[in-house]
Amino acid sequence: MNAPHWVRRAARTAALASVLAVTALVVPQSTVQSTEVSLVKIRHAQGVAVGGEDVVWILAVGSDARPGQSMVRSRGDALQLVGINTRTGSATAIGVPRDSWVSIPGHGREKINSALYFAGPRGMAGAMRNLTGIEPDYVMVTRFPFFEDMVDDIGGITVTNPRRFYDPYLKKEGFARGRIHLNGYNAMAFSRIRKGLVGGDFDRSANQQRTLRGIHARIRSQADRPGFIERGVMTVMAHMDTNASPAELYELAQAVARVDPSKITTCVVRGRIGFVGAASVVFPDVAQARRLGREARSDAALRHC
Amino acid sequence: MPSPLPGRTSWARRCAGLMLVCTLPLSAAACRSVSEPSAAPERLSRNDAQVTLASHPVETTTKIHRVFGRLPDKRRKAVRQQVGAVVDRWWEAAYLGGTYPRSSFPDAFPGFTDGAEKLARADKALLTNQTLGPRIDSVTAQRRTVSLDILATGRRARSVTAHVKLRFATSGEKAGTTVVRGRLFLTYKRGAWRIFGYDVSKGARR
Repeated sequence: MNAPHWVRRAARTAALASVLAVTALVVPQSTVQSTEVSLVKIRHAQGVAVGGEDVVWILAVGSDARPGQSMVRSRGDALQLVGINTRTGSATAIGVPRDSWVSIPGHGREKINSALYFAGPRGMAGAMRNLTGIEPDYVMVTRFPFFEDMVDDIGGITVTNPRRFYDPYLKKEGFARGRIHLNGYNAMAFSRIRKGLVGGDFDRSANQQRTLRGIHARIRSQADRPGFIERGVMTVMAHMDTNASPAELYELAQAVARVDPSKITTCVVRGRIGFVGAASVVFPDVAQARRLGREARSDAALRHC
Repeated sequence: MPSPLPGRTSWARRCAGLMLVCTLPLSAAACRSVSEPSAAPERLSRNDAQVTLASHPVETTTKIHRVFGRLPDKRRKAVRQQVGAVVDRWWEAAYLGGTYPRSSFPDAFPGFTDGAEKLARADKALLTNQTLGPRIDSVTAQRRTVSLDILATGRRARSVTAHVKLRFATSGEKAGTTVVRGRLFLTYKRGAWRIFGYDVSKGARR
């Protein structure tokens, strides 16, 4: 049986009044709350100071040592001089083609990759100083299988590949153009392939810098995961020869994690292909290498390549 | 008096029920919103907590989250105590210690390396109580916890990541609760654990 119209209307009015009352209750409560308990903006600060200077220089060397050979007494095939500015968060990498004909302290002129074989990490650091004017604070040497392990240990990397290329031995199916994810082996192949690249050793060095960017991005994205940096330091100690102590490696890793990706600049030292006797070499543009060194020495930032 | 129709009675009852249901939260809320002291247990327990805090200052709890590598128990304990003390000294110098109101925090970074102190001075608004200092009368710590990730080689601790959380209440013009949390990075230098880096955030509720 239906209630008369006026009852239904009264009920609706009462219900509406009740809903409004509840609404009125809720709204003022939250209004009061917002004045009594307001969230002031959360601010964030980060900084890392390594050593006495703002910029720390690391020479990263990929040794071509075969199984059973000492990786610090073999040829250094991948050569990147990396600067990190812990004050500004900028970083730079200066790549040097492995066949660059340079002066090696105590050993005359040779290809720069042989500096490691003749004079070890210290000799390689000296050769790099002769070319760029920058003496690295640390030298880190690894070999390709170890490099693969390290990339796998951090979960792989993502790089931006500007062109498709392949190698019949290292990567038959090739690397696609664009953003690609690389596991340890593929990161090694991406950094090592030369023959499939138009620019040869110069393009390969540029690919090594893309790999470094990928490693940095991975470290930066994972650094706040408890234990990530510690595990990274452990794997570096297991797979690298370096003059950095464990504590210094930890400091460097924290510094790397603080680098701003938009403040990374890279350049490969130019040169012309020639011969010394029967050996094919690169005569590096020493003036450009020195200019890059001067530009980046104090702030780890390159204005021009 | 004529008796109401059965249907009308049912409707009236439903309306009354609806009104009651809708009004109950109103009355409950009215109880909550009164400004005079309430007898509600929640309020009492909150006051009790404040009394406890005032009479027994909160101490820092430092624990080891994980050790990467091997480190004997004796050395773990030493690292825990030493790093806990370093963090404590910073908190005391930067937030909890001294008298308020004040605007100067000249020695706020004990235990920082020279380089880290230089960086921290540029972040003083966050890494000290500098912005609140002139407008508060007192600071009371409510929570002080430190959790350590230790990297050890050769059975010695080489580096520590300290996950820190400090919560304190302020009274005065800027009364409220402030939380400082984040990570501190330490290595052992010149005979002591020193903070060479930080990744810290600070937020407040008023």
